[in-house]
This record gives sequence, C-alpha cells and structure tokens, in this order.
Amino acid sequence: MPQFLVAYVRIIEAVNIRIGRIAMYLLFVLAAILLWSVVSKAFFTPALWTQEMAQFTMVAYFVLGGAYSLILGANVRMDLLYGRWSEKKRALVDCISIFALIIFLGVVLWGGIESTIYAFEVGERSRTVWRPYMAPIKIVICSGVFLMILQSFAFLIRDIATLRGVRI
Amino acid sequence: MGYEFIALAMFAGMMALLLTGARVFSGIGFVAVIAAVALWGDRGGYDIAFTTSIKLMNWYPILTLPMFVWMGYVMSETRLADDLYKMFHVWFGPIPGGLAIGTILLMVLISAMNGLSVAGLAIGATIALPELLKRGYDKRMVTGIIQGGSSLGILVPPSIVLVLYSMIARQPVGQVWLAGVFPGLLMAGFFILYVVIRCGINPALGPALSPEERASVSWGERLRLLRAGILPVVIFGAMMGPFVLGYVSLVESSVIGAGIATLLALVKGRLTRQVWETCVTNTLGITCMFMWILLAAMAFGAVFDGLGAVRAIENLFLEDLGLGPWGVLILMQVSFLVMGMFLDDTAMLVIVAPLYIPLVAKLDLGMPPQDALIWYGVMYTITCQVAYITPPFGYNLFLMRAMAPEHVSLADIYRSITPIVAIMILTLAVIMLFPDIALWLPHQVYGQ
Amino acid sequence: APIKWRLQTYAGAALGEHVTKPAIEKFNKIAAGQMEIELYFADQLVPTSELFRAMQNGTIDAVQSDDDSMQSPTEVTVFGGYFPFASRYSLDVPVLFNQYGLKQIWEEEYAKVGVKHISAGAWDPCHFATKDPVRSLKDLEGKRVFTFPTAGRFLAQFGVVPVQLPWEDIQVALQTGELDGIAWSGITEDYTVGWADVTKYFLTNNISGAWIGHFFANQDRWNEVPDHLKALMEVCFEQSHYYRQWWYWGGEADLRVNGPKLELTSIPDDEWATVEGKARDFWDEIAAESETKAKVVEIFKKYNDVMAKAGRPYRYS
Ligand code: NA
Ligand code: NA
Repeated sequence: MPQFLVAYVRIIEAVNIRIGRIAMYLLFVLAAILLWSVVSKAFFTPALWTQEMAQFTMVAYFVLGGAYSLILGANVRMDLLYGRWSEKKRALVDCISIFALIIFLGVVLWGGIESTIYAFEVGERSRTVWRPYMAPIKIVICSGVFLMILQSFAFLIRDIATLRGVRI
Repeated sequence: MGYEFIALAMFAGMMALLLTGARVFSGIGFVAVIAAVALWGDRGGYDIAFTTSIKLMNWYPILTLPMFVWMGYVMSETRLADDLYKMFHVWFGPIPGGLAIGTILLMVLISAMNGLSVAGLAIGATIALPELLKRGYDKRMVTGIIQGGSSLGILVPPSIVLVLYSMIARQPVGQVWLAGVFPGLLMAGFFILYVVIRCGINPALGPALSPEERASVSWGERLRLLRAGILPVVIFGAMMGPFVLGYVSLVESSVIGAGIATLLALVKGRLTRQVWETCVTNTLGITCMFMWILLAAMAFGAVFDGLGAVRAIENLFLEDLGLGPWGVLILMQVSFLVMGMFLDDTAMLVIVAPLYIPLVAKLDLGMPPQDALIWYGVMYTITCQVAYITPPFGYNLFLMRAMAPEHVSLADIYRSITPIVAIMILTLAVIMLFPDIALWLPHQVYGQ
Repeated sequence: APIKWRLQTYAGAALGEHVTKPAIEKFNKIAAGQMEIELYFADQLVPTSELFRAMQNGTIDAVQSDDDSMQSPTEVTVFGGYFPFASRYSLDVPVLFNQYGLKQIWEEEYAKVGVKHISAGAWDPCHFATKDPVRSLKDLEGKRVFTFPTAGRFLAQFGVVPVQLPWEDIQVALQTGELDGIAWSGITEDYTVGWADVTKYFLTNNISGAWIGHFFANQDRWNEVPDHLKALMEVCFEQSHYYRQWWYWGGEADLRVNGPKLELTSIPDDEWATVEGKARDFWDEIAAESETKAKVVEIFKKYNDVMAKAGRPYRYS
C-alpha cells in the first residue's frame, strides 16, 4: 500500500482514539450536571442552565465519541450472511457498503455546515432564558461527523489493503 | 410516484443494504438521505438529517440512556449479583429444575435494577450458565431461559425501550413503566411453569442438588444469604420511589440509580481499574450505537412522513383492508413480529412505532386512547423482546454466542429459543385479551 | 395534485385538529386537485427551533407559527407569541395589523429574509395552569414553567424558572416532575390538549390577552403559485383566524364556569398592577434595542391609549 495511505490510517485512528477517549468521560460531566440540577432544585432556586447543558453534553458525548465507537466495533451489523463470509469477502463488500456510511454522514455534515453558517449569520441563540449561542454545539456536531467520515475512509483503506493481502 | 411505491422502495432498499452487513445505522440513514435529496427535488430536504440531530438533542428523557447503560455494566462487571445468585441457588437447588427457576427469579430482580437486557444476559451467561451446565442441566433449556429471562429487562421497569416508546407515543413514562410490571411477572411465571412442567416430565433435564450438598450449607448461612435480596429492593426503591412519588424527574432518577450502583461497587471494593475501563468504554460504545441508530431511524421516519408514505400506510390499515379494530391490531402485531425478525429492535421502534402509534390512538378498542397507548406500549415491548431474541437478527443471539461456554453451539442457541418465543407470544395474547393486567397498576398508583 | 406543499404548524396534533386542520382541509377541497397542502404538526418533520431555516431552504413550504417560537431572525421576533400586556382581547390583533400598520412592518421584515408573510391572527390569552395554587406573586417563585421565550424573559424577574421543551412533551413533563406548570395558553387549550388532566389550578390573571401568530411561506414557492390559488390560500387562512376568534372566546368563558378539572385562583388586582408596571419597563427596554422595535412599541402604546380613552366596552379601567 502507498505509504501516505498507511500514514493516513495511522494518524486518523490515533486522533480518533484520543478524542473518543476524552469524550468518553463526558458521561461523568453529564452525571455531574444532572446531580447539580437535583441539588439546586432541592436547596436553592432551580438552575436555569442545567437542562440545556446536559443536552449539549449528551450530544457531544455520542458525536465526538462516534468515530471511536466505530473503531471499537460497537455498531451492530446484521450478520445473517456477513457472519458466514471469509475475511476477504467481507472486506470486498465493506469496500462498497462503506459508501452508504460516508454518504449518510456527508449529508448530515452538509446540513450541519449550512445550519452552522446560519447560526453565525444571525447570531442564533436558543429559545430559553439562558439563551446560549447555538453555533458552538453545531460546530461540535459537524466536527464529530467529519471525524467519523475521516474514519470511514480509514476503514476503506484498510479493506482495500486486506483485499491486496496487506495488513496495516 | 405513488406513496405505496415510495414506502416499498425505501423499506426494500434498507433491507437490501442491511443484508450486506453494513452497519445498521448507515443502512437506514443512507436510504433516508438519498430519498430526501432525490425525492424532495429542488426543495431542500438535505437538511432533514441534520435537523434530526437537533430533534434528538431536544428529547430530554434520552439522557437516561447512558445512565442505564452504565448502571447495567457496573452491576454485571463488578458481580454485584453474585450473592443474589447464591441465594437462589441454595434456596431453590433442592427441587428438580430449581436452579433454573432460581435463575429466572434472579433475572426478574436484575430487570428491576436496570433498563436494558444486556446486563441480565451478561450476568446470566457468566454466573448462572456455567453453574447450570456443571450441574447437568439441559443446555438448550437453560440457554433459552437465560435469553428469555434477560429480555425481561426491557419490560420490567426501569426500561429504556419503554422510555423510547413513551417519547414516541407522548405518554407519561411513569404510567408506561408501571404497566410493564405485571406483564413482566406474568411472563416470568410462564417461564417458571415451563421449567416445572418439563422437569416434572423428565427430571434429568434439571437434576436437584444432592442431599450431601444441601447439608453442607448451614441454616445460618442460608438465612444470611437472604440478605442479598436487600440489594435489588434498595436500588429499585431508590430509583422508582422518588420518581413515582414525583420528587425527582425521570432523568434525575436514572442518575440516582447509576450513582447508587457505583457507590455499592466502590463499597464492596470491586471497582478495579480493569472493570472501570470496561464499563466506561462499553457505555460509550452502546450509547453511540443506540444514538446513531436513533438518529438515522428518526431521519428515515421524518423523510418517510414528508414524502407522504405514512398516509399511505394509514389508509392501507384503516380503509383499504376493511378490518375491524381488533383485526387491525392483530395484523399490526403480526407484521411487527415479522419485521422484528429482520430489523434491529431500536430501529424497529423508531421507524415502525411512529407509523403504528397514531393508528392505535384512532382504533375503537373500548378504552380511552391514553389507556390504549399505555397498554399498547406493553404489547409493543413484548414484540421487541421477541425481535431481540429471534434469528436472523437478534442482539441476544450475538451476545449469547460471545459469552456462552464453548460447547454450547450456535445451533443450540438457535434451537433454545423456540419454546421461549412461544411463551412470549402466549403472554402477548393474554395481555391482549386482558388489558387490565397492564393497566391495573398505573390506574391504582396514579388514580384514574 | 400538480402543486404540493408541506405546511408545518407549531401546534401539536390535538390542538392542530382545531386551529389549523379545518382551514387546510377547506383549502384542499376548494382547490379541487389543482393544489394540495399536506399538514404536519409540531416537530413532525423538523424541530420547531429549525422551522424557520427549513422554510427558507424549501424543505418545508409553509409554516404556521408565532415569530418567537420559531426564532425568526427578524427585528419583530419578540412581539410574536405573547408580548406582555400588548393586547387585551383577541380582536386587538387584527386591528393592530390591519389598521395600525403592523402588517406592513411584518411584511417588510420577512421579505428581507426571503419569506412571505401571508397573514397574522390571534389565538388565546396567556394564563398560568399549575400543580400548586398561585394566589400571590410570591407563589410564582421557583416554579419551573413552560412558556414562550419572550414571556419567559419577562417572567424571570418574578422568580419564575422558564423551561423549554418540545411542545408535545409538556403533558408528560408535568407528570414526571420536570415542570410545575405552564404559562402558555388559555383554559381552552389546557383542556383540549390534556394539560388540564395534569395540573390543578388556573390563574385568572393573564400576561397577554391574545397570542400573535402567522402563516408564512417560502417566497419562491409562493411566487410559483397561480394568483387565484394565492387568493384562495389567503381566504382560507383568514377563515382559520376567524375560527379561532370564536372557538377560544367561547371556550375560555365556558370552561372557567363549567369546566370540572381546574380550580380558579387569582392574584389581587393591586398586586398584579406591579406586573403590569414592570411590563411597561420591559417595553421600553425592548424599544431601546432598535428602530423597528421602537416603532412597534410605539404602535402598541398608541393603540392601547386609544382603547383606554374609548372606554367601555373597549377597556373597563
Ligand atoms: Na428493567
Ligand atoms: Na430479531
């Protein structure tokens, strides 16, 4: 395999693992926000920001962790046929079906970028009293989806390598 | 292009893609965005997939998902259920099939402590199954029991499937959860009956513990083991109590549950580095899997709706087929069961439920629409349980294969579920005939 | 039909059955196959927060909403929905738009962002429905309430904690403890959509007499429609505004008197006067934000002044 493709796979996967492992701990940020919501409601006035902040955190958790979850193989496949195929056959079919993933994520990103630009243009804010700007969370979604697309191409390169009998 | 054609093409395209072994969410999402971009014409449509992520973000109760997943992993990985298993082992061991019965009861208690089936399956397959096999229990009977028992996790509250259902049906989660209690117990009862009958006919399927072994456990020890039963009561009570009484919200109760499970694991000193690592990464993996399937399936649903296909299906059921309300209901369940074989249960929930739920509300079933929707949630969940364990596509099958000992073959696992599925369908029929089994408890608690 | 439109309303299915569906069905019937509008309810195709953008892109052709809920990027957004104490009766809204010049301001503001403003109409007054009784301003403190963004901004100064959730989730949120009440509608809507089943008290003091909402369309889609169908659409949407005039007016009175589910409570008039006073401050605060906003606030002031001087039956105090 050409050296730059191998390097691409190595770099992208290293980056995605790193980001995913950081995003993984957003679980506890989420729990902390929700616990603060319980406490502030019980002892002080209910906090205005907890609900939205929790929602933003949840989105960041599964979007930024998305590429890492792909690497972990956490996303189920229907393995009625797939489970019976040889490694080469799987790689061959994956080479084609990966484009379903890339196209889906690509369209999500397309809509996301337009929506982010719009958020900047009009200074879009959420409808709540806390009124956070919406651009940051939209950027987070776009970045996570973009990383997943990069990861999908890394899978594609790996599959092509497998077909050519090379291990990356 | 006709609506019927669009509906058919979208479903067929999705099935074809899933058969290639593509990741489930990518297959669903791809069909959704292609249909939107191609069929919306020059009129936008491409932004539906992204706006779905915003819609998902606004779904507040979905925040319970990572909490329940975390809780389940902490419970199974730190072996919090070990003592519980020993308790049932000692108390039920002496009768034929007793260990299997004990395992079912264990599954019921685990179901009451977490919202998914994964934890139950993991605990059943790693703690109960090796022990049962060692004692000479019939491997097909017990693998089936563990799969059926673990699926109770989504029927007995708390349940993430019922949370998703409530969000789609716009019904109060508290009532929907409570509606699952008696159907869950009924199903567990049927499982026990099944074991009793089979072992009654052929005691070799489930040998009782020998008198020597029984004598080796003192009465003091037996009574001491009963204390293990306190754990599920504490966790279930701490989560459900404040929530049902209205002190905390649903999402907050899930955090409390996750916190208590974590604390218990810490107190027992079982939260090692390695266990921690497994819990954290698996929680991310499972949550991502769910969220991405939800995102793709919700986009699919919105596009399907926007292209008018939902109306076509409504007309088909309500007018073209000329069926009575019960006919429609039965046909819906049957089509659901068939689809459940092939579809992943989360995807099925999000794609099919929005099509069927409005129909249920419109049917004249002799009860108020809200009752009908709560009751349907239970039937719907039982169908999901069936989907969950039936080949060719069932999570339980994959997981069981990964966790079961070597000599339990895939063929054994496939065959083991036949009687279990039959029992689930029997339960479904009973709940359909007697809706009060589901509705009595929510009516009592929330007073209607 | 050769022309097909998707219209998404901000109202959920139960309410849309009254406030939107009849007009759309009439339109489709009279258009006799020349054009068909498909109706979608709250969050069905896109979430309400993305509604405006989706209409601009053409993913949705037309929208029924207030400006506030769908966060239109215009100068007039704060005045949609419930602008505190801007109107007392539902008839105030069409008068303000047709006789006092608001229609022209709205049309210009929306033209700037590529959207056709078709028409404005009034809905119900804005009251609190709560799980615990409200008998003084103090009772409002710390209550988590579902309300419109601008109303929420105004009410926050009285200790109310405004919460935003998808409209369809409100009933459940009241049951699961996420909310203590709503300041979103009159009593008709509380009964129609099931909120009366999950709250106990209805506060007779209101912060606005009528919600301001509109029909909008994507400008390009609107231009493509033949003139006679444009006219038909305008007539049918006017009919929808008229339907709500009598449906809410009659419903509010009837359910207060004969409704079995909600107990009425009131905050004494002199105490409530402080809220009205604060509203005037709020108006000035908003007017200071831009020229257009100042113009709209000026119109509200002028109108309310005329009404007060006209006396009965326009104003009683
Ligand atoms: Na459960
Ligand atoms: Na299945």
